[in-house]
Amino acid sequence: MSFERDLLAILPRLRRFAASLSRDRADGDDLCQAALERGLKARDQWQPGTRLDSWMYRIMRNLWIDEARARQRAAKTFAPEEAGLTVGHAGDRDVEAHMMLSDVDRAMQALPEEQREAIALVLVEGLSYKEAAAVLDIPMGTLTSRLVRGRGALLELMGEAA
Amino acid sequence: MTDIDEAMLIALVDGELDEVNRRRVERAAAGDPALAERLAQHRRLRERLAGHYAPLAQEPVPERLRSLLEENETVVPMTRPARRWGGWAMGGAIAASLVLSLGVGRFSGGEAGPVGMKDGVMVAQGPLATALDSQLASAQDGAAIRIGLTFQRKGGGWCRSFDGAMAGVACREDAGWQVQQMLPGAGQETAYRQASSADARVMATVDALIAGVPADAAGEKKAAANGWQ
Repeated sequence: MSFERDLLAILPRLRRFAASLSRDRADGDDLCQAALERGLKARDQWQPGTRLDSWMYRIMRNLWIDEARARQRAAKTFAPEEAGLTVGHAGDRDVEAHMMLSDVDRAMQALPEEQREAIALVLVEGLSYKEAAAVLDIPMGTLTSRLVRGRGALLELMGEAA
Repeated sequence: MTDIDEAMLIALVDGELDEVNRRRVERAAAGDPALAERLAQHRRLRERLAGHYAPLAQEPVPERLRSLLEENETVVPMTRPARRWGGWAMGGAIAASLVLSLGVGRFSGGEAGPVGMKDGVMVAQGPLATALDSQLASAQDGAAIRIGLTFQRKGGGWCRSFDGAMAGVACREDAGWQVQQMLPGAGQETAYRQASSADARVMATVDALIAGVPADAAGEKKAAANGWQ
């Protein structure tokens, strides 16, 4: 069993995680590709016997945070915490791209990164709290409070309050 | 007012509560319609998010990503890895469409998904209900939904675990199959799959509920023939 084949086996889930972090699927696949490249390069750092999927989730998430920061600097549009309602302000192209998205995509996009990644790992990827906290390198209490705040925001954004 | 906070409600939905706390929250929700509705909202949210992204893990991986991994191998595998379960490959497409209909069903407020809400609890419907009613673990080649264990719960009544696009446990109640737990399935099944998080957590739920040992093939057949009474 090779490292590459192990990666290939979890690739569908890695793509799913990338898509739930990113603004759309094309961005998600770009992120996924960058994470695979980094994972292959850093393969010596993976400890056999530990979970490869958690290791890759972590690589992907770190790449995403780096890229999101770079993009923020470039666009000089700082999104405040309650960014959900101001997403259209980043420019016409963003507005257009946004209209193609479903309610779920849009609501996920509106979440602060730290809440979105917690939601993605637990609700989309099905990780336990313990596994998700380990991937994000945060205490369990921090994870659960992000899950509570993120879900509250999603319910409001998706009009599930009724 | 009850002392059940939001964090406890979502921990229940996420399958993170132990048996004692799970019962505590369920009891509180049974006597508090507002709490029950909030709980139902959280269940719907989890279902909708999981259903929204699930089809992505079922579809073929784009060539540019696949080739990245195959280039690096000394021997390029020309065939797909063997499936752990025969028949799963065929079920995949059906499972994907099942999840898709789950998402769409929720989205439009329709009842197309495998789970409906009845008095604030999740009840299996459609193909999931059919599988739980009549599918035997010994005869399910090619099925989109696989039945795992069939067992009696503490306090009486039949429960069955299932796996597919979604994985979980459902128990037979008067109203039908009440879904105790529902998690995203593992996505594509391959021989090299890591143990999925859902597997371990479904087993934990089975452990928490089960009285005695799971039914064998004969016991399962008999229970189905008796209408799970």
